[in-house]
Amino acid sequence: MAEKWYERSGEHGSVVISSRIRLARNLKSYPFPNRASLEQKREIALRVKKAIEESNSTLAGSFSFISMEELTQLQAVSLVEKHLISPEFASDRKGRYLMLSEDEAISIMINEEDHIRIQVLGSGLSLNELYNTANNIDTLLDDALGFAFNEKLGYLTQCPTNLGTGMRASLMLHLPATEKNRAIARIAGNLSKLGMELRGTFGEGSDVKGSLYQMSNQITLGISEHTAIENLKNIASQMIEQEEKSLEELSKTLEMQDIIFRSAAVLKSARLMTNDEAMKLLSNVRAGMVTGLIESKDYSLLNRMSEQIQPATLMTSNNREMTPQERDSARAELLRRELKELF
Amino acid sequence: MLCQSCKKNEATTHIKRVVNGRIEEYDLCPECAKKMGYTSLFSNFESEWNSLLGSFFGGGLPSRTSATRCKSCGASFSEIAKRGMVGCPDCYETFYEELLPSIKKIHGNTRHNGKFPSSSGRQLAIVNELESMQEQLNEAIARQEFEKAAELRDKINELKGESKNG
Repeated sequence: MAEKWYERSGEHGSVVISSRIRLARNLKSYPFPNRASLEQKREIALRVKKAIEESNSTLAGSFSFISMEELTQLQAVSLVEKHLISPEFASDRKGRYLMLSEDEAISIMINEEDHIRIQVLGSGLSLNELYNTANNIDTLLDDALGFAFNEKLGYLTQCPTNLGTGMRASLMLHLPATEKNRAIARIAGNLSKLGMELRGTFGEGSDVKGSLYQMSNQITLGISEHTAIENLKNIASQMIEQEEKSLEELSKTLEMQDIIFRSAAVLKSARLMTNDEAMKLLSNVRAGMVTGLIESKDYSLLNRMSEQIQPATLMTSNNREMTPQERDSARAELLRRELKELF
Repeated sequence: MLCQSCKKNEATTHIKRVVNGRIEEYDLCPECAKKMGYTSLFSNFESEWNSLLGSFFGGGLPSRTSATRCKSCGASFSEIAKRGMVGCPDCYETFYEELLPSIKKIHGNTRHNGKFPSSSGRQLAIVNELESMQEQLNEAIARQEFEKAAELRDKINELKGESKNG
């Protein structure tokens, strides 16, 4: 099996878990998905498939074409947990298709909110590289299919919030110290004035799991892809610096050291582990790695674990439905086995 | 339907999310949706968009739009406003004037800046690429990255040549 994108480690991997670029595109001669027939949706999907397969790009061979209707609910939800598709795409699967690269770095959702959503994922801070990949796929598909575009409004999308570049760039950040200093709300407030957004990746409001946050651009019209990405990167680098500094301070306290080593010990020994607890403990261990209290710097292992312990993904890899307790047991076992060498 | 979070306001946003391996659905009012952070990447903006259209229509529907239908997909503007979704690419031409105020509210801009597809004509694509590269060049100079700046300057000259010949 090909190495998945989240098994590689990336730049600023201590704070930036992953980067993502998403482009919203629509075909010129079809109504948007809310007014398209199932027949039209199928036709669009087959045209996208053909365009990818017939391209001479090296990409062609690595894609699988999935009719969402043929997946079980569990398989679909697992794709959501891995951030490859949206919850909306998983819940209503009629007329929807997915093209997925073998390393799960590239997913093309067909007939989600727009005809085509190109999404490229990568570890660490890698927005420029990801944009280049997304841009190449975009050009390739545009040449074959002809995208709806207007000189004034840019790429035309079903919802006007995506007009212009149709690009959403985002970073998944691990911010335990910033969170502990209660600075998240203030930063989120400032970001929204700059046309950017910060929100919890799992859970929301005051109940964000694993200190994981998603930062993305909100404005797509009037600001070029390049500028949107640079803005995001500039803010991110300030946040990374701040987070690392605060975490360094925090790790000098006996209380934080205790939390980190206790978390490592529980991960190594527990027999039952809920998802929420695992997310919290993995977050603490990551903080231990960043500050050097835990010697390893194997962030990619932690990234992989965060994916594999999610409920639907856990059940999919076990090939069966499981009760919550069976899941907690399988999760604890997986973590014990995989993290054994780590500390 | 009442908002499932505050149980006070009218719910306008339908949210789907994954909790414990299952998809859960919620109906929320715009305020609670915003509070819970549902305005981003993988959520729908319909409520926001609807309320924008709603406020825009404070004085009642303009008469032209209630009768006009898009020639390509048959959508009327009131249908678009109700669903919070535009019918087809041509709707943006048909209802340009009606949509513009909301677009300006959402983005603060009404003019695209960024990639032009090659199908829109190579000339246009070049003009846009030149603007973007000029932007990058200025940044490189400001950061005193002169090697990168020189590289960009060469590329800009090359593109300008192509633009003249093309």
